[in-house]
Amino acid sequence: MTDAPHTMNRRQLIRHSAWFGAAIGLAVAGGEVISHVAGTADAARIQGRPTLRFAQVSDSHIGFLGKANPNVANSFNHAIDRINNLGYTPDFVIHTGDLTHLATPGQFDQVKQMMTGLRTPHVFTVPGEHDSIDDGGQKYRSAFGAGTRGDGWYSFDIAGVHVIALVNTLNLKKLGHLGVDQLEFVAKDVAALPSDTPIIVFSHIPLFAMYPDWGWGTDDAAQALSYLRRFSSVTCLNGHVHQLFSKTEGNVTFHSGTTTAYPLPAPGDGPAPKPVTLPAGKLHDALGIREVSYTRGQSTLALKEKVLQ
Amino acid sequence: MILIRLAMAAALAVTGISHAYLYVHGYQHIPTIGTAFVVQASVSFALAVLILIGGPAWLSWAAAALAGGALGAFVLSRTVGLFGFSEQGWQPSPHAAISVFAELVAVGLWAIYVIGLRRTGAPQT
Repeated sequence: MTDAPHTMNRRQLIRHSAWFGAAIGLAVAGGEVISHVAGTADAARIQGRPTLRFAQVSDSHIGFLGKANPNVANSFNHAIDRINNLGYTPDFVIHTGDLTHLATPGQFDQVKQMMTGLRTPHVFTVPGEHDSIDDGGQKYRSAFGAGTRGDGWYSFDIAGVHVIALVNTLNLKKLGHLGVDQLEFVAKDVAALPSDTPIIVFSHIPLFAMYPDWGWGTDDAAQALSYLRRFSSVTCLNGHVHQLFSKTEGNVTFHSGTTTAYPLPAPGDGPAPKPVTLPAGKLHDALGIREVSYTRGQSTLALKEKVLQ
Repeated sequence: MILIRLAMAAALAVTGISHAYLYVHGYQHIPTIGTAFVVQASVSFALAVLILIGGPAWLSWAAAALAGGALGAFVLSRTVGLFGFSEQGWQPSPHAAISVFAELVAVGLWAIYVIGLRRTGAPQT
């Protein structure tokens, strides 16, 4: 670098332009090659169809009345349409909680009726804190608790994958809470499983400390996760936070899902997680569903987010 | 100076390979982060090749900016999160550590390169 003003003649300009063009061209070509390799790897992985494909929907808040979404029922119907038009029949659909906004019998009846429109062999749910406002989850279990254990938790095996659905919205003070009985259930549930069994865990409140100041975490999740550490692939899917968020801790990956009702602020953005009212026409970009697929032999699940647009 | 260019090209190639590997093996499915990984990898490869064959000095500045940006993104992903994504410590191992090391090397070599040019008074174009 010199003190004199630096000037560039035409030849230098052409030369630098050529280098710049080469950099762009090589970067684009490299990106194409990497994407192609990734696509080929995915195609080889898929070989026709994955072992397991399911959809996640969350936080429908049926019964919510507010400016952030004047018609949550319509948005949830839109989400159901998206799932029914994935181009294949998902092995199951999981609703990760806050099915209703105020846990009234009418709201449970409405959301249950709406979910009968899902074209899938199985619909699973876990309760959100909005589903157990005044009765410790009694009405939720009456509507959705068939075949569950304890306060509504359960597990099942499908396509070689072990799925655990947890309830961390009862007995909560600020953070989510699993409790002794449920922790015992998790320990016993996985005790006999080989360590190469892929594990999927559903819960409403995140099992990781996403933002504890707003209650976005579960106070005794570490104990539950300690039973799962020996497994080569553990994927935890949750709702509650109304936005996409991912976190990896060793072999455990956490994915917060979005909502079909209304967005919440990013962690720490404001004093409290209040519904965010978006400009007209922008709401459905913030709402969505999630496709999840698993192919035998892979250590990670493939996630695809779809907005309700 | 030739050795510095070779080493910088190698460091860029290493961080590019590391990001490309992670992209192919799962990160492609993470919103925004997947795209960022493929961009980081492809630009790293392009700069590595052009620096290797004797491109102008601004390529080193671009390489340092890219490596510095990747380091910044690494720190954000371990603290406040980046585009809704966060990880812990040196996970995924060993790729996180390899990338950070290569990026630190690239930034360090760029600093040595710039200081060397200033001392020799050579033009930086």
